[in-house]
Amino acid sequence: MGVKFTELFSKDILRFENVEVEVDRISEKLKADIFNLLKRKGAVIGISGGIDSSVTLALAVRSLGAEKVLGVILPEKDSSNDSKEFALKLAAKFKVRTLEENITGALEGFGCYKRRDEAVARVFPEYNPEEYRMKIGINQSGLNQFLPPVFSLTIVNNEGNEKSKILRINDYLQIVAASNFKQRCRMSMLYYHAERLHYAMIGTPNKHEIEQGFFVKNGDSGADIMPIAHLYKSQVYQLAEYLEIPEEIIKRTPTSDTYTAEQTQEEFFFQMPYIEMDLIWYGQENGTPPEEVGKVVGKTAAEIEMIYKNLRRKQKTTEYLRMAPIKY
Amino acid sequence: MEGKFQIQEKVREFILKTSYASDDHLNNETLIFAQGIMDSMGFISIISFIEEDFLITASDNELLESNFESINAISDFVFRKLQVASNQLA
Repeated sequence: MGVKFTELFSKDILRFENVEVEVDRISEKLKADIFNLLKRKGAVIGISGGIDSSVTLALAVRSLGAEKVLGVILPEKDSSNDSKEFALKLAAKFKVRTLEENITGALEGFGCYKRRDEAVARVFPEYNPEEYRMKIGINQSGLNQFLPPVFSLTIVNNEGNEKSKILRINDYLQIVAASNFKQRCRMSMLYYHAERLHYAMIGTPNKHEIEQGFFVKNGDSGADIMPIAHLYKSQVYQLAEYLEIPEEIIKRTPTSDTYTAEQTQEEFFFQMPYIEMDLIWYGQENGTPPEEVGKVVGKTAAEIEMIYKNLRRKQKTTEYLRMAPIKY
Repeated sequence: MEGKFQIQEKVREFILKTSYASDDHLNNETLIFAQGIMDSMGFISIISFIEEDFLITASDNELLESNFESINAISDFVFRKLQVASNQLA
């Protein structure tokens, strides 16, 4: 992917000509890494019913065989019921053993919900989790100008009425820090099963999540191997088609499944459809002139230039998340 | 109502304190986001700061580069908002 294809830039630039070659390459490397490098006997994967964990599980099955893969479903009280249903369909399709570990009790122990709700109630005193759902969203005007994003808190009552407010820094930080217990709890539970079975823990983030910082440090980024971390989202979908991931998982809109109100990943973080994001990100990484990218995605060169700048800023400001501990 | 110079000094002091930028490298026209002096947490901090110190709430459609790109832009924005509030009270 490091080659510059500037003159050939098109909407299909990221499509694998022969997806089987890439699937085989990943599967062989995964097998070698787990058995020879990590010296583990199999793979544990947290499955959410989303596209990334589904493709990762299918790759692991192709690589190691279903009997050496364990899928763990990790619901908590805010999770969508669809997540479990889709995860079970996936496991049935690939004949993988599954375990369900409900982490609600652990999260209550950490005070995850209480600490989050306390900050939400500082913003909206009428908020209580029995009557309202909540989510954090990104300010949509952010990508069209050179300003970092601002986050808004939205609460939705049982009648569907919404209220939003821009978050003050202390409230924002507390809501995010409390919510991050979820990813860190999942990671702990997955490592429990990985260590119990002497398996490797396989992480599921894709290229955008890693490079734009859409993950929780020492949470969903805590894994032994990340076999799809080099793939753009549209490539993950291409692999999903090839690997015959259940249709309803492929068609499902990617969600954050973190807050109580429904929210897409686009709304929460990426701010544009993934197909557009992929092409612009590729253009930015490979120095494609903004006018060429603009022609393909239907934007002006100035708009693409601004998005390039914002993506570079996002990458830079999330460096902390990707940094290993500083050792003296 | 606070004068423009006082507002500018407060904004400058806040940005110096939260960005760790040195006084010599930050003038009132420096583009604080474009030049990487403030990041996204910095922007949220500025919004919280003007809300707490000047009792000004920026609405969604006021979150513009022209209102936040530099110390001068922020000070002008705060000054204009305070003027409107003071006229409404009068």
